[in-house]
Amino acid sequence: MSVRLAVPDWSLLVPPLIIVGTIVLLLIVDAVLRRPPARLLLTLAFAGQVLALASLWTIDWAQGATTFGQSYRADWFALAVALVALIAGALSVLVSAGYTESGLDPEGIGQAEYLSLLLFSVLGTMLVGAAGDFIVLLLGLEMSAVAVYALTAFARRRVTSVEGALKYFLLGAFASAILIYGMAWVYGSTGSIVLRDIAETLRTVVMPGQPLDPALLLALLLLAVGLGFKIAAVPFHMWTPDAYQGAPTPVSAYMSVVPKVAGFAAVARVLVQGLQPLSEQWTGLLGMLAAITMIYGNVVAIAQRDLKRMLGYSAIGHTGYMLAGLAAFTTGQAGDRSVGSVLFYLFAYTFMNIGAFGVIAWLQERGLGTTLDDIAGLAGRAPLAALTMAIFMLSLMGMPPLLGFYAKYYVILALIEAGQLWLAVAIVVMSAVSAFFYLRVVTRMYFEEPAGALQPARTPVLGLGLALTTLATLVLGLVSSPILDLVQRWSAALA
Amino acid sequence: MDNLPILSLITYSPLVGAAILFLWGGASPRAARWIALLASSVSFLLSVVMLVAFDRDQSTLQFTETFDWLPELGIAYRLGVDGISAPLVGLTTLLTLIAVLASWDPIRHRVREYYITLLLLATGMLGVFVSLDLFLFYVFWEIVLIPMALIIGVWGSANRVYAAVKFFLYTLAGSLLMLVGIVAIYQEYFRQTGIRTLDVLQLAQGQYSEAFQFWTFLAFFLAFAIKVPMWPFHTWLPDAHVEAPTAGSVILAGVLLKMGGYGFLRFNLPLFPDATRMWAPAIVVLSVIAILYGALMALVQQDFKKLVAYSSVSHMGFVTLGIFVLNQPGLSGAMVVMLSHGFVTSALFLIVGVLYERAHTRDLAAFGGLARNMPVFAAFFGLFTLASLGLPGLSGFVGEFLALLGGFRAYRWAGVLGTIVVILAAWYMLRVYQRVALVRAPGEPPDPDDPERRLALAHGLPPIAGGSDGPHAYPDPRTFPDLTWREAVSLLPLALLTIWIGVYPLPLLEMLEPALAALLGRGM
Repeated sequence: MSVRLAVPDWSLLVPPLIIVGTIVLLLIVDAVLRRPPARLLLTLAFAGQVLALASLWTIDWAQGATTFGQSYRADWFALAVALVALIAGALSVLVSAGYTESGLDPEGIGQAEYLSLLLFSVLGTMLVGAAGDFIVLLLGLEMSAVAVYALTAFARRRVTSVEGALKYFLLGAFASAILIYGMAWVYGSTGSIVLRDIAETLRTVVMPGQPLDPALLLALLLLAVGLGFKIAAVPFHMWTPDAYQGAPTPVSAYMSVVPKVAGFAAVARVLVQGLQPLSEQWTGLLGMLAAITMIYGNVVAIAQRDLKRMLGYSAIGHTGYMLAGLAAFTTGQAGDRSVGSVLFYLFAYTFMNIGAFGVIAWLQERGLGTTLDDIAGLAGRAPLAALTMAIFMLSLMGMPPLLGFYAKYYVILALIEAGQLWLAVAIVVMSAVSAFFYLRVVTRMYFEEPAGALQPARTPVLGLGLALTTLATLVLGLVSSPILDLVQRWSAALA
Repeated sequence: MDNLPILSLITYSPLVGAAILFLWGGASPRAARWIALLASSVSFLLSVVMLVAFDRDQSTLQFTETFDWLPELGIAYRLGVDGISAPLVGLTTLLTLIAVLASWDPIRHRVREYYITLLLLATGMLGVFVSLDLFLFYVFWEIVLIPMALIIGVWGSANRVYAAVKFFLYTLAGSLLMLVGIVAIYQEYFRQTGIRTLDVLQLAQGQYSEAFQFWTFLAFFLAFAIKVPMWPFHTWLPDAHVEAPTAGSVILAGVLLKMGGYGFLRFNLPLFPDATRMWAPAIVVLSVIAILYGALMALVQQDFKKLVAYSSVSHMGFVTLGIFVLNQPGLSGAMVVMLSHGFVTSALFLIVGVLYERAHTRDLAAFGGLARNMPVFAAFFGLFTLASLGLPGLSGFVGEFLALLGGFRAYRWAGVLGTIVVILAAWYMLRVYQRVALVRAPGEPPDPDDPERRLALAHGLPPIAGGSDGPHAYPDPRTFPDLTWREAVSLLPLALLTIWIGVYPLPLLEMLEPALAALLGRGM
């Protein structure tokens, strides 16, 4: 084997580089123009992500090329994650419109910082999806998370915002430490940090039916705990409700989706790709976590009166469904739907959850609070807002023909194909439970008489975001064939 | 004609109406009513065309439409009707039209939204009856839930939210397990044959182990049993009916309950023949309990609407009895009871609605002597009372007779018990008719020559033959005007169908029989 000079293939990095460029541009424009109009920055951030989305088509993902050694992989999985992250980022920018255009905080931190933090987080998530080794994975994960810690505290004069951010940060930092420790054990056991090589080594070491080496078992547990924190699986979920409730609503919208995408991408990269030979162990573990998570999230959400908090617990419930999808992993062969169903779920979840938080942001902009009482009779005052909210709630509940139903259907399909009937039954039972609290939102909006008036809107951009997410929730399920086709190719990337 | 996607046209013409109303935000209540009437009429007329063109000699599916939807998962857009679903499609479009008419005056609040919801509901129900793909079926099945819950919850009476949520959660819980069943059978068929499909006909060709059938049957059964509703899954029904507006009750009783019976016929029987035989005795027992329980509960109701609701439980017991005795007369009887119940019970709910519009109460004590000042109403009411109690010559008799005949053949005791209950039906229905149309109105001075009254007084009993002599809060029924032309027009087609099926059921039975025979031949 001859030694070659490693020349990185920059063409594979075009989409993340566009995001980097947009961030730099945002900060420069802000510095040069002093106090540029919010609409300009918003347009820049949005256009940057759309451009990055378009640039996804310039890369031949089928090849599964790597660059920077094995660190960066441009494979189908990376494409799916980048797609979801960029769509979520772009929608979040739209949903943030009311918030950023209101001028935020006259004294200091402004729109440019807000938007660039958001973009950093998107960038981090894209990197996790494309990670070929532990270093890039961790870098991406932290980049994604740290930016969101800051965003959570963005309403810095409000105690709940700071409290939520502090909890999120402390637990997140703790989780990262555990995760790194787990990675260290894997490195110690296999002598590599490259996910592919780890899988290769383990394949020769791990014998089916034999008890697992204690070092590997420890590594697996540490990784599961660390990643469990990142995706907010029970019992590592404590930060979620406070962070969701405390953060500015557009940030809640964003952080309910993109860091979760990053988390699940990391789980898939680390467990499905790196520790694939240990799948017997971790599918069992994930199955248990999935069941606990979905039960806890959905049951506790019933007791919530605050919409943001309720959506926080509902997000935990959805994490459970997605974990169940991963627990359906069997062979990694082309017919295996496990990771594909999770990618589709994330894709679907992006639209409905950003949309649901978007409606709350819309209400706040019109002077309403975020409790169930605030939306009583909304259908009489703002029929369109109520209708969109109802659509998101029903979609999250999993009502056909909305997008959320298809997501759940694919997960159930993956589970039954893998013979995990009990998890499939758990999902439908929990969907019935979730109907209690999702439906309550709809009944409060529709079955009660309206009270009070709404303030006029400040910006139509938020409405655009809501229109897009609603349309996607309504229609994308019906034409999900191409998306399904894309997410189903994950096995070519991770196997 | 052959290339015309008539089933899609029937199914989506209400949706088009709903879309127009949704987009036309400024539509006046009057315009909304007319658009809804137009959309439901188009759907109805198309379904009449479909029924006329339907080839009665064939057991196969007709008017089929197929196109690949999600081919990777074997999901396709497959529509078609046979002798089982075609009459139900006709029933649905007719009752939708009647529901539009029945809501004309009573619904005065958020009229545009109301008709959007009603038309959406119509599309969902029609989709349930015409889809032949399990996935598509499930989508339509669930779509029905939301508008129905909204109609109860927004336009219902006092306790509407409770009833709507209860209805929604009950039926959702049942159907979610069906989803697991759907995926399970899909996967099992794929495992055996390597073909990914959700085509009902193709899946019915598969051979499934008894253990698999046992559980999957149950998953489907629960969804349909809740919808029918079978005892003991019926508790949502009285609440939903009592709180729903008249048109909501009409649709609920006339069509939604039929979705359960149809589900048994279309899915449980052909897909799980072994499990059907295994479970049939138990289901027959439940059916007999339902027949008896519904009748007894109807006997003691003071609320007219609740009475009709419980009588529905009883009638639907005949449906499940007829289905699970698994013979030709039983199945034909079940289908005829479903259709007859669709006409008669819907009409009775319309009659309750007529009374409610005038008296603003459904308390039976508020009425009396209406035959004098509302003769047309009393005539209709009398006809449907007799049809409901199973008088020969009216549609109720044909179906119940056939279902009981099937019962006698398979389980003698079930036939005997079922027949006895028919007497109870006469009791509770005639009691209502007497109470509402014949006896003394509240506040009306007692007739000294009334022999029953004299008899009661002589024995120290309270006078049972009507009237309350004390103070009462109800408007005087003697002032009620007779039916408006719109009310009469809604009742007339139902009356004609009731008589027609009662006197000359042959065309209907001819339509049903090939499909039912094929169903029985397939593995029963």
